[in-house]
Amino acid sequence: MPWKYSDKVLKLFMAAVKGEAGTHMGELEDADGFGEHGSIVCGDTLRFTFRVERHPTDPTRDIITQARYLTFGCTSAIAASEALCTLLEEQHKTPLEALQVTNQDLIDFLDGLPEQKIHCSVMGAEALQKAVADWAVKRGVDLTKWLPDTTPADKDEDEGRVVCNCFSVTEPYLRRKIKELGLHSIAEITNALKAGGGCTVCHHAPGGLQDLLDETWGVMPNKDFEETPASAAAHAEAELSPFRLGQQIEALITELIRPQLRGEGNNIELVDIKEHKVYCRMTGSCSQREETARAVKLRVEHQIKEHVDDRLQVIVV
Amino acid sequence: MKHIYLDYNATSPVRPEVLEAMLPFYREQFGNPSSVHWAGRQVGGALEKAREQVAAFINASPAEIVFVSCGSEGDNMAIKGSLGALKEKGNHIITTTVEHPAVLETCQALEKEGFDVTYLPVDKDGQLNLDDMEKAITEKTVLISVMWANNETGNIYPIEEIGAIARKYNIRFHTDAVQAVGKVPVDVQKAKVDLLVISGHKLGAPKGVGAIYVRRGTRMTPLLHGGHQERNRRAGTQNMAGIVGLGLACEMAGAEQESYYHRVRALRDKLEDGVVALVPDIKLNGTPNRDQRLPNTLNVSFAYIEGESLLLNLDMYGIAASSGSACTSGSLEPSHVMGAMCVEVTLAHSSTRFSLGPETVPAEIDKVLEVLPATVQRLRDMSPLYNCGRTSDNCETCQTIKRI
Repeated sequence: MPWKYSDKVLKLFMAAVKGEAGTHMGELEDADGFGEHGSIVCGDTLRFTFRVERHPTDPTRDIITQARYLTFGCTSAIAASEALCTLLEEQHKTPLEALQVTNQDLIDFLDGLPEQKIHCSVMGAEALQKAVADWAVKRGVDLTKWLPDTTPADKDEDEGRVVCNCFSVTEPYLRRKIKELGLHSIAEITNALKAGGGCTVCHHAPGGLQDLLDETWGVMPNKDFEETPASAAAHAEAELSPFRLGQQIEALITELIRPQLRGEGNNIELVDIKEHKVYCRMTGSCSQREETARAVKLRVEHQIKEHVDDRLQVIVV
Repeated sequence: MKHIYLDYNATSPVRPEVLEAMLPFYREQFGNPSSVHWAGRQVGGALEKAREQVAAFINASPAEIVFVSCGSEGDNMAIKGSLGALKEKGNHIITTTVEHPAVLETCQALEKEGFDVTYLPVDKDGQLNLDDMEKAITEKTVLISVMWANNETGNIYPIEEIGAIARKYNIRFHTDAVQAVGKVPVDVQKAKVDLLVISGHKLGAPKGVGAIYVRRGTRMTPLLHGGHQERNRRAGTQNMAGIVGLGLACEMAGAEQESYYHRVRALRDKLEDGVVALVPDIKLNGTPNRDQRLPNTLNVSFAYIEGESLLLNLDMYGIAASSGSACTSGSLEPSHVMGAMCVEVTLAHSSTRFSLGPETVPAEIDKVLEVLPATVQRLRDMSPLYNCGRTSDNCETCQTIKRI
């Protein structure tokens, strides 16, 4: 197997499969909360139910007493489901507190998950959110009133535009999760949400994963970045005026590059900027030797590309 | 706990006789066969003996055998080397959708360089339609590449008929025979193949050695440059110990061919009959005709459950098998072979391959048949897809299962 599971994952998985005492496989009848996440197309599905001890007057003070799951999925999906139920039961949480349980909590409980398996923990957290939303409806609790910051899974998410066809992942869901989980690259999206892990067509398609990332976080220049029509359009939009471009480069040199070079006995001076070419003068020891001069130039260019615009070139005069 | 190894299509242990034969080539006879002095001369004979052993095994002549580092290298060399040499004649390859990645991804890489590739589809049993193949041939076709037997399903392809088609149109024919050699008779003359690839570690020789049969007169550009070894076909100092091991493994496999087939086939049939009788809701992957499958391979999907969790569960009992599930491969999509056969996604995720070997004994099959049904049932009890309570009219999953 190309990855290694933690001992905790294997232990929970085996205990669950053997049906040992204290494990949570099953489905509660007339559950107070019911949530499902995943689909068979994705290769994993979790059906999650919980029961509460009802508070006589205040439903927000209900306590989760029992949690159960049915899971179709790999070892880590089953272990993550087991982790979710154990965590909730052990900590006697109210459903509102349970909403604060994140996929990271599940990962920590499992002593880590392989990168490519992060989506198993996300599946657990999603099913939990849906179950709490179900509980809220049943108990007449207005979630938005109590926890205005959380955005429980929206029904429209299932009906939004499908971005990743292989795993039927929709745009509204992606937008929410990219922000919620702080996903900054396509690989991170695939590990956490599976999206983009199949045919890869949606990676750089218009309205695809890269576009969603760019819209969420702003355009991130990347040295391996391939210019696609969509990103070219994004570039055009983000085009700086020559004045602003000059300001940004000047600031970068003053604040970051020059202090670094000074430490090595060198200095740099901005001479001019024309059509994505940045003309610089180097002084100090680097200008004496060709190899060092070239290395310094490449490093400066890399920093300017990374922080300002990936089309910029540095020319030493 | 006793280990039960049922993953011989992935790799096999080195046979004790083979290991014994290899050892002197690390210390006593360490020479480079290209050297003229005593140390080099000492090993030259062993190199040529191994070449004869491999050649005899597949009915070729020794000069047609080139030693390589592995099956993947052989496949790369066969395809890239052929297209390089036949550039003037055309740029079209015909292959299948169920090839090993060593062929499939090589072809995909060539597509990016401007070559045309036709990937022939298979039916639900994984079988090829040879009419499709004939129709796909164009004036530009320079190579047909079809595996002798499939690693996942064990399906054996009609290599002799494909060889006849290739001859008829005067097209070069390459076959990846890595899974076939040792398990079924392989004869390059009868099959009319021009290029055939063998991997050592699938038949009791070590990893890191393989061979390619190159029919006399087949022009190839080399994959590796930088040496005159292997008649200028493959640069690099020969892996002497590995090559000696491969030679002996081939000789032994040839001698035992028939007894191996009957013994392993009986065990596989016992396993197959047992699984069919003891576990409901399963789907056999590959051709139902056992004569057209490798004698050692059984590939079966267990509805409602996922393959990786089943594998790990079996592993706890010491049973090693493999799966077409995405979760075992590092990707998110299930095996391309299951996909090509249009196996439903859920069933593809639960496809499990048992591949037996010469060291498999009846007690091991009994143990698997004892453990497997209960394990499958337990995982099904955990699955929200099992007994979901919905009727098959409005439940996609139920319909999927009904299509088994």
